[in-house]
Amino acid sequence: MKPPVSNKLAAEINRRTFLARGGVGLGSLAFTSLLNQGVFASGSRRSPSGLGTLPHHTQKAKRVIFLCMAGGPSHLETFDYKPKLAAMDGQPMPDSFTKGQPIAQLQGQTLKCQGPLTQFKKYGQSGQVISDFLPWHAKMADDICVIRSMVTDQINHDPAHTFMNTGTAISGRPSMGSWVTYGLGSETEDLPGFVVLTSVGGRNPQPIASRQWSSGFLPSRFQGVEFSANGDPVHYVRNPAGVDSQQQRRLVDTVQQLDAHRNQAVRNREIATRIAAYEMAFRMQTSVPELMDVSNEPRHILDMYGAQPGDGSYASNCLLARRLVERGVRFVHLYHRGWDHHGGLVQYMNICCPLTDQPTWALIQDLKQRGMLDDTLVIWGGEFGRTPMSQVKGGKGRDHHIKGFSMWMAGGGVKGGISYGATDDLGYYAVENVVHIRDLHATMLHLLGLDHTRFTVPFQGLDMGLTGVEKARVVRDILA
Amino acid sequence: MNKCTLHDRRVLALTSIGLAITFVACGSHRLEAAPVDFNRDVRPILSNNCFQCHGPGASNRKAGLRLDIESGAKADMGEYRAVAPGRPNQSELISRITHSDPDERMPPADSGKALSSEEIAVLKRWIAEGAGWSRHWAYEPPKKHPIPEVKNSDWPLNWIDPFLLAKLESADLFPSPDADRVTLLRRLSFDLTGLPPTWEDVSSFLADEKPDAYEKRVDRLLASPAYGERMAMYWLDLVRFADTVGYHGDQDHSISPYRDWVIDAFNRNMRLDQFTRDQLAGDLLPDSSIDQKIASGYNRLLQTSHEGGVQPKEYLAIYAADRVRNISAVWMGATMGCCQCHDHKFDPYTMKDFYSMAAYFADIDEARHLTEGTNTLPTKREPEMKVLSRAERERIDALTSRIATWHADLSPKSPQDAARRPLRKRIRDAQRELETIQKNARLTMITVAIEPRVMRILPRGNWLDESGPIVQPEVPEFLRPLRRATGRANRQDLANWLTDPEHGCGLLTARVFANRFWYLTFGVGIVKVLDDFGGQGEAPVHPELLDNLAIEFVQSGWNIKHMMKLLVMSRAYRQSSVVSDALERVDPYNRLVARQSRFRLSAEMVRDTALAISGLLVRDIGGPSVKPYQPAGYYRHLNFPERRYTAHTDRRQWRRGVYMHWQRQFLHPMLKAFDAPSREECTAQRARSNTPLAVLVLLNDPTFVEAARVFAQNILCQPGSAEFRIDFAFQQAVSRRPDDWERQKLADLLTASREQYRSNTEGAVQLIHIGEAPPATDVEPFELAAWTTVARAILNLNETITRN
Repeated sequence: MKPPVSNKLAAEINRRTFLARGGVGLGSLAFTSLLNQGVFASGSRRSPSGLGTLPHHTQKAKRVIFLCMAGGPSHLETFDYKPKLAAMDGQPMPDSFTKGQPIAQLQGQTLKCQGPLTQFKKYGQSGQVISDFLPWHAKMADDICVIRSMVTDQINHDPAHTFMNTGTAISGRPSMGSWVTYGLGSETEDLPGFVVLTSVGGRNPQPIASRQWSSGFLPSRFQGVEFSANGDPVHYVRNPAGVDSQQQRRLVDTVQQLDAHRNQAVRNREIATRIAAYEMAFRMQTSVPELMDVSNEPRHILDMYGAQPGDGSYASNCLLARRLVERGVRFVHLYHRGWDHHGGLVQYMNICCPLTDQPTWALIQDLKQRGMLDDTLVIWGGEFGRTPMSQVKGGKGRDHHIKGFSMWMAGGGVKGGISYGATDDLGYYAVENVVHIRDLHATMLHLLGLDHTRFTVPFQGLDMGLTGVEKARVVRDILA
Repeated sequence: MNKCTLHDRRVLALTSIGLAITFVACGSHRLEAAPVDFNRDVRPILSNNCFQCHGPGASNRKAGLRLDIESGAKADMGEYRAVAPGRPNQSELISRITHSDPDERMPPADSGKALSSEEIAVLKRWIAEGAGWSRHWAYEPPKKHPIPEVKNSDWPLNWIDPFLLAKLESADLFPSPDADRVTLLRRLSFDLTGLPPTWEDVSSFLADEKPDAYEKRVDRLLASPAYGERMAMYWLDLVRFADTVGYHGDQDHSISPYRDWVIDAFNRNMRLDQFTRDQLAGDLLPDSSIDQKIASGYNRLLQTSHEGGVQPKEYLAIYAADRVRNISAVWMGATMGCCQCHDHKFDPYTMKDFYSMAAYFADIDEARHLTEGTNTLPTKREPEMKVLSRAERERIDALTSRIATWHADLSPKSPQDAARRPLRKRIRDAQRELETIQKNARLTMITVAIEPRVMRILPRGNWLDESGPIVQPEVPEFLRPLRRATGRANRQDLANWLTDPEHGCGLLTARVFANRFWYLTFGVGIVKVLDDFGGQGEAPVHPELLDNLAIEFVQSGWNIKHMMKLLVMSRAYRQSSVVSDALERVDPYNRLVARQSRFRLSAEMVRDTALAISGLLVRDIGGPSVKPYQPAGYYRHLNFPERRYTAHTDRRQWRRGVYMHWQRQFLHPMLKAFDAPSREECTAQRARSNTPLAVLVLLNDPTFVEAARVFAQNILCQPGSAEFRIDFAFQQAVSRRPDDWERQKLADLLTASREQYRSNTEGAVQLIHIGEAPPATDVEPFELAAWTTVARAILNLNETITRN
């Protein structure tokens, strides 16, 4: 006998709790939506926890898979071919480019041009230019939209990730996955709406802080939950040793009943939320292991990704990403740590690319064959690019670079087979159709049906959104 | 006066959120009789909708119009006046906000702002009533207000109460009845010590019928060392204390003595002005003591980095900004962080103020780690100093003098060897203890002043741009100036200014802190936003009360225990938290304090409570941070160096949450699940969420499973029937006996678990071996496992982790 509790109702009430919390309130928009919706009404079957009036406009994408190549892959060896740079290989980098610009590890050193360390060819009907390091990307040239004119503000890994994820380098702001889940809710009640998966392989894996999936000033239930391939997939999701599922169920039932009983006397309006939280926690104890167990995937699917069940690889994570979005998870964020190629760039590209190239292709194909690519937005890229100048640190490499680099988007509402923007002849500055991280955020939100100027929450006196208080533009040219 | 008008008037004093709710509740009724109050009703509308382009920020001010100052709003602009007092129809402000042409209408559509018809009505009425103006409430010095008259003069117990009651009476509301004594004692214990009362505490309080019974408990709890730990939990959030550097490699840094100093300072009831001075400028004080040097570690608490590519200038700029954000949030309730790139859009803080405040800290020796920081645990963050805590130093003094005395006793006058032997042993033991204490001296980061760096205004916050003017240490221009006879002002001057009620911003500081003490004892501040007293924050619901509390705080000699006692002695504090439907409708967020608040305990208290109930809690004070059980592999993303977490296997395992290792990038999942912050930035108020992740902690984290099992062992030590034992267990956890239904539920759980474990001894053995504490051997595993299950249920009860 379980107390009849609607999760949706609980979510509503929980949101109301959030209203009551000091320091943070909902934006006027969000708040009106609450009122319009009727805080206690549990009728509507839309997303169980999204804000009622969202999306603002028709969604092209319903969910996001963000493939973060942590460390910062070189645009000059992936998508941005620079013959002029090849011609200037070994020559001094013209001062006109670098004067007064921030520099990371090359501070105080003589700056020399480093020509591309691989070949490029055109692929697909679109003739998309892709390097030899990425043969599987070549096969999906017509699926992806490469943006060659990205810029960011932060030149070191940790702040650059924070900037990429939250729109600012100052700690304490929500990650984009939290924003999206907060606004749109999730389509699953058995799993968190925002899930993070990580893998390693390549050069000197840079640390990734859990700040990167923090919900910041949004309610903590919108934080990213990291699923791990080793140990418990989610912290404490396993019953204590010696406790089976039936016993755990009995315990949870007893707690729920005692809480409900006591509540007749103390009239705690949060009790429904709490009872619902016990229900979801209990369900997660089954649904999470079920999700992580890919043994029921057919051989050909495993082979397509190159995934060995339970190996914690990027390939396995791509497969899990598909399983997660299939189950209604809103935002899946993959990190592959290994792209910080200050030295030995060729050597390490030959590790990172084989680990990620085929699985990324497989993910796109798999989504496509399930009819999910049309409304799933996939984004690929690092926290920054790498310098046209060489850095020698155990073989040729490149330093961090923020003034121009490449990312790509595919699926939900984005034109495939195009490239957008350009860097200069040496691949230093983005010079044509520059796309700032904030523009990327605005575009992503737009595809999800969210207007970045209106999707805000009051924080420290500001209407704070993912794009911060600065101007940001939706990159309309790449929309399908 | 009909009910809705009452609601409306009452609600004006509340938040805009409250405003909207009551508008909905009251349908089409509008504000009537109550005259508009500028600060309460008008300023928030102007601030939120207009100041961004017509406010203090000069750089993007539109049409040369300022609406944040009276002279600007009412100025004759030649063709128009934005605000023509008494004449809404001739006020450009009204015509623009009601303009039919969307291109002309303010605020502009692309601002994302829009005025509601209620807000427009308020502005119209304000102008019609003469457009009264007053300075922003927080920058007006508090005045002492007379205690208001109340009808129900029997209710107040101290002077706080009439302020609350008068407001309730004017709204036809009544305070809630007093809480029952058990609830009251639990509330008091959690609020003052962060721990639940023991059953003995509860029984003795229930039996004590003397009039001073309650006050005696208040005094006892304030005198408990746990009080300092509880207050420190809050303080450490404010000043972002953590055990690791935060950025990039997130290595450990050496700072735990600072935490112990904070606890000690609260326990000794250090005055807030001294508390402030020691932290900001402990190193600069004449004859700076070791404690003051430890306290000066405050300046080193911020996140730091020695990542390979860091550029010193960039990071010194980041650190400077971090400090200004923290100082202004903690002491001034200001969001000065906005001024890193531009003048504040809502408050009168400027970019120059921001960098001038940063200049006070330009003398801090800290650049060395940018090049010398090591990938070691702990990393190097010089200057550091090896220190002993005050308690350790006192112990050393005591031992040393004892050894001296014993040595004297060993003089040849007592030649018998037999008498000398025990004395010699005592000396040896004492010397050994001395050595142990000395050996355990800890490194801690301290502040050392060097030649101040040049501080410039960085245009748009850009550290690469060195074209900005050089600034000197100065306080924000619109506040009272910091007076100094000669020379460059320093951190000590700033600390004095922050706590000087006559010549500095001490009264602002006093208000900020009085409001926080209120938050700690009532669950929500008189000003709800605890770290923004600016225009975008919220005006106090009870401004006169807050004024008087601020003045009381100063006049008491910045006496924190005095303030905490004053608050908990009030009648308002002792009210029940049970909310009636009617009250819930009128005041859902309890801003009128017609009841007490109910909320989940903070993360550390959730832990401490489980350990205390189980009997596992170790009450040692101070020392290096401790490491409870943590999921394996949780630090796998950390590097430089790679990290392996090793949980403590001795008594450190069961110490209070305030001593837990605080890893900024990967905060312990238990702390995180219960909303403890990473302490990267100032946190004045934690969220109180209710999530499945937190449930999983309570259900499955070995700390809680072990606590349940040890709790079960204690339960089994009680002689008597299962029912008697259930009663005992319930009392230990929630300070009351279960009712029949509850007892039966737990008995059913016991029976079912017992049956299951009787046939699954292996499972029982596994369960009772979770954790380092040895399982009881004098009881059958199935029996202990069954009772462990009952104990788990009790530790999971909402009531167990709720302060009400």
